[in-house]
Amino acid sequence: MSARENKDTTYKIQVMRDILAKKLTRSVVGSLVACVHCGMCNEACHYVLTHPDEPKMTPSFKADQLRKLFKYNYDWTGRVIPWWVGAKEPLSDADLEALKDIAFGTCTNCRRCTLNCPMGVDTATLNRIMRGLLSAVGVMPEGVRVVSKDQWEVGNQMGVLKEDYLETLDWMSEELVNEVGDESARIPIDKPGTEVMYTINPREAKYDPRTIAAAAKIFWAAGESWTMPSEGWDQTNFGLFSGDDQLGGASARRVYEKMKELGAKRLVISECGHGYRSTRCEGPNWVGIDQDWEMESSVFTMLRYLQEGRIRVDRNKLDRRTTYHDSCNLARSCGITEEPRELLRMVSNDFVEMVPNRAENFCCTGGGGAMSMSEYTPRRLKSAKVKADQIAATGAKIVVTSCHNCVDGLSDLIKHYKLGCEVKQLVELVADALVIEDCAVMRKSKAVVEMPKPALPLHGRRILVVDDEPDVRVFLRTVLEDAGAEIYEAPDGDHALAMARKHKPDLITLDLSMEGKDGVSTFAELRSDAEIAGIPVCIVTGHPEFRELIYQRAVPVPDGYMDKPVKDAELVDNLHRILGLAEHHKAPD
Amino acid sequence: MPAHEPSPFLHAVEITHWLALGVMVVVYTLRIRWLLSFRATRDRQRPSNSHRTDARRGAYYSLANVLMPWAMESTRRGFAFYMTFALFHLGVVAGISLAFLSTVARPFLRHPVVSATILGLLFAAFAIGLYRIGRRLLRPVMKLISTPDDYFSIVMLTSWFFLGILTELSIISRLAGEGYAVGYLLLTSFFLLYVPFSKISHYLYYPFTRIWLGRTLGHRGTYPLVKG
Repeated sequence: MSARENKDTTYKIQVMRDILAKKLTRSVVGSLVACVHCGMCNEACHYVLTHPDEPKMTPSFKADQLRKLFKYNYDWTGRVIPWWVGAKEPLSDADLEALKDIAFGTCTNCRRCTLNCPMGVDTATLNRIMRGLLSAVGVMPEGVRVVSKDQWEVGNQMGVLKEDYLETLDWMSEELVNEVGDESARIPIDKPGTEVMYTINPREAKYDPRTIAAAAKIFWAAGESWTMPSEGWDQTNFGLFSGDDQLGGASARRVYEKMKELGAKRLVISECGHGYRSTRCEGPNWVGIDQDWEMESSVFTMLRYLQEGRIRVDRNKLDRRTTYHDSCNLARSCGITEEPRELLRMVSNDFVEMVPNRAENFCCTGGGGAMSMSEYTPRRLKSAKVKADQIAATGAKIVVTSCHNCVDGLSDLIKHYKLGCEVKQLVELVADALVIEDCAVMRKSKAVVEMPKPALPLHGRRILVVDDEPDVRVFLRTVLEDAGAEIYEAPDGDHALAMARKHKPDLITLDLSMEGKDGVSTFAELRSDAEIAGIPVCIVTGHPEFRELIYQRAVPVPDGYMDKPVKDAELVDNLHRILGLAEHHKAPD
Repeated sequence: MPAHEPSPFLHAVEITHWLALGVMVVVYTLRIRWLLSFRATRDRQRPSNSHRTDARRGAYYSLANVLMPWAMESTRRGFAFYMTFALFHLGVVAGISLAFLSTVARPFLRHPVVSATILGLLFAAFAIGLYRIGRRLLRPVMKLISTPDDYFSIVMLTSWFFLGILTELSIISRLAGEGYAVGYLLLTSFFLLYVPFSKISHYLYYPFTRIWLGRTLGHRGTYPLVKG
């Protein structure tokens, strides 16, 4: 090693020491000093199980890389006789590269070993810290470097530009509006004061926008007041993978600040394991603020909508066997195991558990940022054999998961091991299973349709129906009441005149051929009485020959004339027109 | 303090053994102070699954984990290994009891039930110690993660169990002479001085690591684990 290289390496080691000092909390130090090298964590790791001839895959060996550095600088024995307890510092760039290979290439930080350690050693956290130390001196896989840079500079880990993001939302809005035929289904952007602000994984905007449309459909169906932000929409956080707490804090803060700026009451995080853990669990710690607002996974949101009856689903729409893959970050680090199952059972008739499951589930092998580290792909796919066997044993045709990393990791291994199934997220299944007619949005719109009684053509009009045939009166009453009118009835002329004087109706329908005082005489009297002469009259008769008799009278002609049998719509239209004309004539010039 | 009639040399060894215990207590106190000198953290996010758990419940569950072999896959599937772990640590308890009782209540150690229990546990622990030495030497994974401290600790502990068996046998007069007791107490004294600087002090950290992990995972709704 040249003097220059030596100087560089020395500087890097010093930086690593400085950062390690900042990361040494009580629980971290506890994990560093408590390991007894018993090997119990060994078979918890999918890398170990699939690489039986490579002892370096064992979790305690991975954690020991940080432990060596710690002991060398902090442990009493390690500082005096380092070789006795394995205390050691990296000495060259080659050592740092070897550490990179261990910390990034042989561990997905799935935390399965942590839950299987009798001493409570959090090996996954120690590995993340080692990643953080290496990242701080620029030693990391190229994929991690690029993604971290995008998240720092562009504001999201896939470098999706704002215009492209908004265009994608617009595109999804168009598709959804076309699908449901309702303009209000459009995705709201930066709408202030909503109940929900919805954040996503950039993968959704870039590669899989159908999950955005699916979520939008559910929000629309539930009648939710919601919005997506134009910025601060990336809930994912490569700080979790690279071990860079500063990036973690900056990314989480973007989301929190946007939410507060918009005044949304609740942050709903789309189905994303590390996104949820970063935003909901680690984010407040990284940012250094106490959570004083609502945050939840969209799994909880969808489940609540179903429980509250805001949306309804038909589980018979899905006719293939499903199984559920627990994301490590959700199940082991955030305690989400039951809600996704409850939701899945609502949309799937044939659900079978994967074994093991919940917090004991095996990693999809795409976690910890592994999907961005192409140099380790062959090793990752080899380690995926455990997961492939788990899936194959279920006989499921759909593997459901609530994590985007898992979607990619599982899809990759399903293809590699030719399992013949597909991966879906709950949001897609729920959206597909929606019974729109029974959802809140339709109940709301039905209420709007029923409301406009004012818009009925004869709403509020008082009409006197005069006819000697009871059946005809019932018919007319029914049609006119349906059109919104208030009806009085009279079976003959005398009653008609009396009621007209008493109620002063807006209009009179008058039969001509009646027993007692017939319609012609009644009409003449109506028009002769100044008190009721102005009431519009529509003749409804089965005797057109009487028409002439009416027109021979020296009184103003009737306002309308219809021959029996009359059609409902024509009757309503005619009366509506007569009343409109009458008002027009009454109106002052 | 010694309540029997030992030789002056054995008496001196017994005193040394008690002094070593005092030193260990002091060093352990310093160790805990050192551990607690690091920054304490707390989760700032709201609790999860608060309808069924919290940080306190998580801590209790985590602390009791050692008594629940069904709780972890590693102990559930490796139940035989778990039993060796249990017997090995019971052997340690028997060995410590033997060391201290031999100096203050030697007649008690001659009680048939007591002597049979101590001998049985020490013998089991000795056998397990031999197995563990072999496992550490022969299994590539164990070799890879083992340090000189790991080898030394297991070899010394196994030797200590063996000496303990001989000492108990001499106390119940199956073997003649004080040599076993002297050797045993000297080795115990050495352990008392060495343990705080070695991996054997893991039991000191056990409650801390388990409670801290349990509090975190309880607050986040993971502990106690929900089984399918």
